[in-house]
Amino acid sequence: MLSVTNLEARYGAILALRDISLTVEEGELVALVGPNGAGKTTTLAVVAGLHRPSRGTVLFEGKSLAGRAPEDVARLGISMVPENRGVFPTLTVAENLRLGTYLRRDGQVARDLEQLQERFPVLGERAGQAAGTLSGGEQQQLAIARALISRPRLLMLDEPSLGLAPTLVDRVFELVAELHREGVTILLVEQNVRRTLEVADRAYLLQTGRVEASGRPAELRELVDIESVYLGGARRPGAQASEPAVGSR
Amino acid sequence: MDAEFLAQFALNALSLGSLYALMALGMAIVFGVLRLVNLAYGELLMVAGYTLFVLNDSPLPWLFVAGAAVLAASLASVLTERVAFRPVRVNSLNAMLITSFAVSTLLQNAALLLVSPRTRAVNVPGLLTQSLEIAGLRVSVANLITIGVSLSLLFGLNLLLRRTTLGLALRAAADDFPMTRMLGVRADRVIAAAFAISGVLAGVVGLFWIARVGSVVPTIGAGPLLIALIATVIGGMGGLAGAIAGGYVLGALTVGMQLLLPPGLIDYRDAFTFGIVILVLLVRPQGLIPGRQSARVG
Amino acid sequence: MASVRASITRHRALPVLLVLVVVIAVTTSVFGDRLLDRIVTVMFIDLILVLGFQVFSGNSGLLSFAQIGFMGIGAYTSAILTMTVEAKGFAIPDLYPFLVPIQIPFIAAVFVGAVVATLVAAAISFPIMRLSDAASVISTFALLVILHVVLAHWSALTNGPRVVFGLLPYTDLPTATLWAIVFVAAAWAFKHSSLGLKLRASRDSEFAAATIGLNVVRLRWTAFIVSAFICAFAGGLWAHFITSFSPQAFYLTRTFLILTMLIVGGPRTVSGAIAGTIIVTVAFETLRTAESTINLERLVPFQLVGLTEVILAIGLIVVLAVRPGGLIEEREILSGPGGPRAEPVEPPGLEPAGEAR
Repeated sequence: MLSVTNLEARYGAILALRDISLTVEEGELVALVGPNGAGKTTTLAVVAGLHRPSRGTVLFEGKSLAGRAPEDVARLGISMVPENRGVFPTLTVAENLRLGTYLRRDGQVARDLEQLQERFPVLGERAGQAAGTLSGGEQQQLAIARALISRPRLLMLDEPSLGLAPTLVDRVFELVAELHREGVTILLVEQNVRRTLEVADRAYLLQTGRVEASGRPAELRELVDIESVYLGGARRPGAQASEPAVGSR
Repeated sequence: MDAEFLAQFALNALSLGSLYALMALGMAIVFGVLRLVNLAYGELLMVAGYTLFVLNDSPLPWLFVAGAAVLAASLASVLTERVAFRPVRVNSLNAMLITSFAVSTLLQNAALLLVSPRTRAVNVPGLLTQSLEIAGLRVSVANLITIGVSLSLLFGLNLLLRRTTLGLALRAAADDFPMTRMLGVRADRVIAAAFAISGVLAGVVGLFWIARVGSVVPTIGAGPLLIALIATVIGGMGGLAGAIAGGYVLGALTVGMQLLLPPGLIDYRDAFTFGIVILVLLVRPQGLIPGRQSARVG
Repeated sequence: MASVRASITRHRALPVLLVLVVVIAVTTSVFGDRLLDRIVTVMFIDLILVLGFQVFSGNSGLLSFAQIGFMGIGAYTSAILTMTVEAKGFAIPDLYPFLVPIQIPFIAAVFVGAVVATLVAAAISFPIMRLSDAASVISTFALLVILHVVLAHWSALTNGPRVVFGLLPYTDLPTATLWAIVFVAAAWAFKHSSLGLKLRASRDSEFAAATIGLNVVRLRWTAFIVSAFICAFAGGLWAHFITSFSPQAFYLTRTFLILTMLIVGGPRTVSGAIAGTIIVTVAFETLRTAESTINLERLVPFQLVGLTEVILAIGLIVVLAVRPGGLIEEREILSGPGGPRAEPVEPPGLEPAGEAR
């Protein structure tokens, strides 16, 4: 469904993505994990049309996403929940959701809204409230609901568990697993590797702009000493340990 | 301080404040969406003025002529966005700001080139120069119409923003433009709409402004621009409510200064008004109704 | 040793730029045409103005429109201090009596004018620097207008909106050349000073700068008053070149012209300031001459007024769309590939940690 090949992206003179290749098949839950600065968010940004790559291709259901504006990428059926949730603080919860339906032309919107309110009761309770006054967890629910109401072909989530209390983190991963079961295709970026590998079909491990390893969760755990990757240490157990990055050990 | 004096003051302050509020609003709408301070905003007023001038001898009723002037201002606004701002938009905020300054220079000098550097008289309907008696008070018709039209416009704009999809998109874009685009809203359309609305507001203000003065000159936009800028800053650069509040406060302040300053200093009225504004900003840099743009480092 | 070499590379441009200014001056002198003399003299004064803008805007990243107002303060102050009692009687009849008998030498007057402007700038700009970026830019614009209003109405100092005349033409080509050289060196020194470096750091990331303890407000304020000094100095020089002027000279038209020079050349570099001044001066003079010729020869049935500005404005917009950083964007000329924006170098065996997300 989504196919990223040899992606390279820069911020000014700094190379954020060096050579990223990944795929997402329909119905899969694919995860991108890796430490801060690995290039996970940048990858999503490039797919969403928010950042122009310097090299490489991105194909979605056969169509190239290269150079497309975000509004066009949205029209192809890709929805994203960014890291900061992206709710509109001065708009009400209901208005936020209404914007989620901006591209829909069918008559099923009301029914979908009802179902979403069953799943996220807080949306109904706080419908008239300014979204900026919601708690972090509530905003997360709103952001995900807003992404879902557009009936996306591909849902991209950037660190949905970030900044949430542990019980809420559980709820988020339950929700992600649920959506996966219902057939939603998901590209999930996360730092919480353990929980992520429990729900994902496949995962890619990124470090400093490259894909270090990929595969099914079980394979990944065997291939790589993941923790040491996060601390900047050896990339493969038994391999020559390279200079650790500043701050580790 | 008798009731009549107070009433006159209130009326003048409301009338001027309404104009200032509309001006500030026009600037704030574009700022909200693009984070651009449009220094060519005053020139939209000038465009309205010169349209009135060009149609001076037209047999059409003045309302039509006024409508044409407002339309011209709105068209000019959208055109400058399409031709000058859009190609520069991707580059940086500073680039857009200087572009707006360049557009301002361009439009002023175009008027110089195409019409005349000299002041040109504009026909003003007699109605606007008259005054009425209401409850024993002398009230200028111009003031009443200004207040009436302004309030209607503000009301109408509020409806647009709260009840229509376009309004929703505009408000969302002011909160978080990239996210708005990720939901499928076309950036170009939202921006063009913001500029169009801004132009309409400038056009309407232009009508009343020029009616007060009776003539138009290429530099007529400078005063209104400054007012819009100051009102926006004291309003808090946050949102539309702040801009409106800033406009009314500035209007009241100006009328107040006009009354309080001794005759020798009256020429400096604007300097004093803005001096007070700077003092206010010393104490409260975030303005009246702070928005997300007013956060300050240090 | 490497650091000495790096220093030399970084500062290679300065003597070249200074020599360039001298070469232009000498060539003009030798050429012997009075008109060209005047054009180059004004060009050097404009260069000083552009450098004034560059010192603040280029290093802080903030646009400011106020500087030409300070030019005006410098011009009027120096005029009051150099004119004879007689001349003042004619030009500024309402001048405060205590100022009438004061008469000091030319450069001293220019210097005092610059100091006065700096004091005014220091007082007014402090609240402005505390505002958010957008608000502070707007405020500098308002400041320009206010300064103009004050200059145009304070008859007891400026003769109001009317022309002040009767200054002696102290500023000639050698004078302008000398001070241009001084201020090119000053702007260079500022940019590479500790203050300049900190300011540029805050320009590139205000947040990061604050986290390492830089007082961004203080930095900006300091740069602003240095900028005011430079522009006011130029004002004093200009006043004694043109010998008669009115407040209108220190307002939007000149601001537009100087900003164009700054932007076209590249606001971040001193070499850019020089390049921009030369380019825009050439363009301006050419267009003006064309405009006058067309008008004189009546080549078109109406008088062309403002065509020069329209074309310059279009040119500026095109530059902003196509090359917004200006001609000399980031690295000064001749400063080599090891400039401040070097590509991250990969030491052997190590993966550099980028700012990637």
